[in-house]
Amino acid sequence: MVFVKDWEDFEIAAEAMYMQNPKTCRYSMKYIHSKGAVLLKVTDNVKCIQYKAEIMPDLKKIEKFTGNLMGHMASRE
Amino acid sequence: MVLLDNSSFIISLEKLATQARNDSSFTITFKRFDGHNKPTPREGRPPLPTPEEYMCLVRAQMKSKKISTVVKQEDVPKMMVMYAQFMKSNMDGLKRVKKVKSKAKAAKG
Repeated sequence: MVFVKDWEDFEIAAEAMYMQNPKTCRYSMKYIHSKGAVLLKVTDNVKCIQYKAEIMPDLKKIEKFTGNLMGHMASRE
Repeated sequence: MVLLDNSSFIISLEKLATQARNDSSFTITFKRFDGHNKPTPREGRPPLPTPEEYMCLVRAQMKSKKISTVVKQEDVPKMMVMYAQFMKSNMDGLKRVKKVKSKAKAAKG
């Protein structure tokens, strides 16, 4: 349960984790309006990384990242 | 758990998000889905066939309400557009950061 501070680090680590273990890897996001925060979590039951987004520009990055990951998940590999 | 198609999933998701706005939160999970909805057979039994293509299972939860959808490969771009729209309109509680330029202007004026 590690909160990664830097977005780039999180993105790289998350994709690497998925590539390593696509079968059990899952990605979840939790939005808490009252706190104005989005919590991202990627885990493969062994490792777990998290990221806390509190500012607007992060949302754009999350959007792109989610699209990438969904593309990876729904593929022929 | 209610399995919905992609567009009705987004519509229900918007409803959940509106309900969660005041004092609650909602979670969305993405996972690869191989099309099997039964467990992996034990050793010595014939294994499940390898799927030709994988899909993406999206689940959402708000308190005790749960919905889910399966996104196929050809639907990913369409789904992403809808999801981006959803994020923009419902995850709007984040802090806005003022651009450095406008700050400099404000300081001048």
